Amino acid sequence: MTTAAVRSARAAAVPPSTRRPGLGAALRWEVVKLAAQIRSRALLAAALVIPIAVVAVLNGQEQPPSDTIYGKLIHLSGYAMPLLMLAFAAQWVLPLLAAVVAGDIFAGEDQHGTWKTILTRSVSRGQIFWAKTLTALGYNLLVLTVFAASTIVSSVLIIGSRPLTGLSGQTIASGHALRLVVLAWVTAIPPIIGFTALALLLSVRTRNPAFGIAAPVVIGFAMQLLGSVSGLDLTRKLLLTTPFEAWHGLFAEHPFIGPLLTGLAVSAGWTVICLGSAYVSVRRRDITGG
Amino acid sequence: MRPIVTRTAAVLAVGAGIAATIAAGHPEITKTGLERALAPTFANLYVHQAGILGIPGITTATIGATTACDKGGPEVADTGAGPNWICMMSWADNQGKHQDGKFEVTVKTDATYVAGGPSKIVGLARITDKHGHDVPNPVFEFDGVISTG
Repeated sequence: MTTAAVRSARAAAVPPSTRRPGLGAALRWEVVKLAAQIRSRALLAAALVIPIAVVAVLNGQEQPPSDTIYGKLIHLSGYAMPLLMLAFAAQWVLPLLAAVVAGDIFAGEDQHGTWKTILTRSVSRGQIFWAKTLTALGYNLLVLTVFAASTIVSSVLIIGSRPLTGLSGQTIASGHALRLVVLAWVTAIPPIIGFTALALLLSVRTRNPAFGIAAPVVIGFAMQLLGSVSGLDLTRKLLLTTPFEAWHGLFAEHPFIGPLLTGLAVSAGWTVICLGSAYVSVRRRDITGG
Repeated sequence: MRPIVTRTAAVLAVGAGIAATIAAGHPEITKTGLERALAPTFANLYVHQAGILGIPGITTATIGATTACDKGGPEVADTGAGPNWICMMSWADNQGKHQDGKFEVTVKTDATYVAGGPSKIVGLARITDKHGHDVPNPVFEFDGVISTG
């Protein structure tokens, strides 16, 4: 962030009125702080560049990664690759993307010892909580969008836009396949929001940025492991990683959206519980010592 | 209440909740579900294969694929994910001849499956198309999904 940009943001953050600054001002400051971090910019750049490299390398390989869904078909259609990438990314990349900023955004204030500084400003704790939460959510959705767009566009450009074979063996025409692939990535939004809320909660409770970033990834792995155990059909539905697989139904000859609706409800449940607990913790927290 | 008491109670409640969901769950992956998914998927892909080989007049109706699935022999219940599903498929091949083939199916807990066909009948992993190119055989091994709602 250049000094000029900081100055202009500061000018924007302090309107020339005597009105008490609200959520908008707190939000603007959180965005300025986030935009100034090397980590947040690096992640955004990585989300843009890394998929292109991965798509090119996978496409160059003679042997396709046939143990993941759609892996066998990556050489046949440019629409198979983004689905393979989605299935692969759901294992740990998406929880990590969700946690890099969200896991740090509260705990970073502990690390720098700046809670007192921001809480003595004329905004309430609630406003600071929502400003941080909205910043983390907005950033994560931006990263997901960049990641998805980069994956889909590079796949179609590198491999081509031949029709896709669906999960009932049917042929899906190019235009329809593109819409379904975009929709499949859209279905990753609710669990990403859930993982963001989980990372925010851990960030608030542990007061440790490293823990706030690593723990959601580890929890995601543990959920994957639990979800791969046969016979836990109801338990698996309640896991935050299961909604990442709900797109499969869209690619059947007779599409079904039951798992999508369940996934939406489960993600909403996790989000509400995690955000609620985080809010209570921030409101009740005694910061006089730190 | 002291924090240690509330925390222990919370952990026990979550544990009990997880145990309850394990007990209350009923299997979503069934023999019927797999059979309903596998036979039409195979038929669609067999039509696709006929297209690659340049054999005219093959449709899902002329193939008339039906299948009967079993998991892990007679002693194992025919529900749930596992690598030990066997499906016997009956269909009319692209010369109109009746065929019976054994498919080995691995069903994953997310209700997707990977099915491998009998290579003596459906061909090897790669086949030669009508233009003489070496291409993957769509029915040699394929992914599919079982409808769960």
